[in-house]
Amino acid sequence: MNVSKYLPLTETTFYIMLALRKAGHGYVVMQKVEELSNGRVRVAAGTMYGAIENLMKQKLIISVPSEDSRRKMYRLSPLGHEVLALEVERLKSLVEVYQQIESEEVHSK
Amino acid sequence: MRKFKVFADFNEEETYLNEMARNGYFLKKHSAFGFYHFAENIPEELHYHVDCRKFKTQADFEDYKALFEDAGWRHVYGTKNSLNQYFLPKDGNSDGNIFSTKDSAALRYMHLNKICYANFSFAISYLIVLLMIYDFNLANIGFLTQGLWKMTGKLFWLAFFFELPFVLLRAAPVVLSLLMGIVYAVWGNKAKKIYSNMMVDE
Repeated sequence: MNVSKYLPLTETTFYIMLALRKAGHGYVVMQKVEELSNGRVRVAAGTMYGAIENLMKQKLIISVPSEDSRRKMYRLSPLGHEVLALEVERLKSLVEVYQQIESEEVHSK
Repeated sequence: MRKFKVFADFNEEETYLNEMARNGYFLKKHSAFGFYHFAENIPEELHYHVDCRKFKTQADFEDYKALFEDAGWRHVYGTKNSLNQYFLPKDGNSDGNIFSTKDSAALRYMHLNKICYANFSFAISYLIVLLMIYDFNLANIGFLTQGLWKMTGKLFWLAFFFELPFVLLRAAPVVLSLLMGIVYAVWGNKAKKIYSNMMVDE
């Protein structure tokens, strides 16, 4: 399966997927994203709902049984884990390229 | 109080509801036919937010409302199938928004557009079926009384008024479905235009 078609992830999607490595419902994810990003990324309720809907459609997350009858719980799917890992590889290689160029410039001076 | 209004622009709709609240009219209900029902009370400075969404199940709808409530929003009006969902911030804070990204805010217009186009297709299909019944001949919808237009005086009026209700009964669905088709096409196009504009400019 071609996993790279899901990349690149937006920052919001990246954090939501990261938060959903552990099962949680929408609001828990909202809080976790804020915490993980040191308050820099805040996902509003409407955006959160749309993101979950979209990730469900792409099968990057799955719904898991919830103790709360009103609130649905979600978790990253195996495909989601794969996509997230691949995105991290992509970001890593970007940073590596940047650092390489930078160090070459320092040496040539 | 009831007011009939149709909005393609959610920002305009929000501004309208805020203005009504400033005049002491608070949204109670938004009916499927485009009527806003208001309850009168002491004027207040409110900041309404409108979302547009379709839900497959009642459980999805409950989950949606729970998420907004958790995040500090009060669900003012909306049902599983009403599409538009109206929210007010719980503690009166006005600088919050129900969307944090441009794309998700724009997606409301895409939802509205899809629904309008679906209704347009439905209205036009219905119109075509109706016209099929009349063999695509508009004359079959009008007066069918033989030699009606050659009649004169009392006889003409008698025959005319006798058949008139039947003509109206035949014509009403045709005119109505045509009208609905046009309205939904215009409405859907407007929503699509706003969507494109939002996605273009920063």
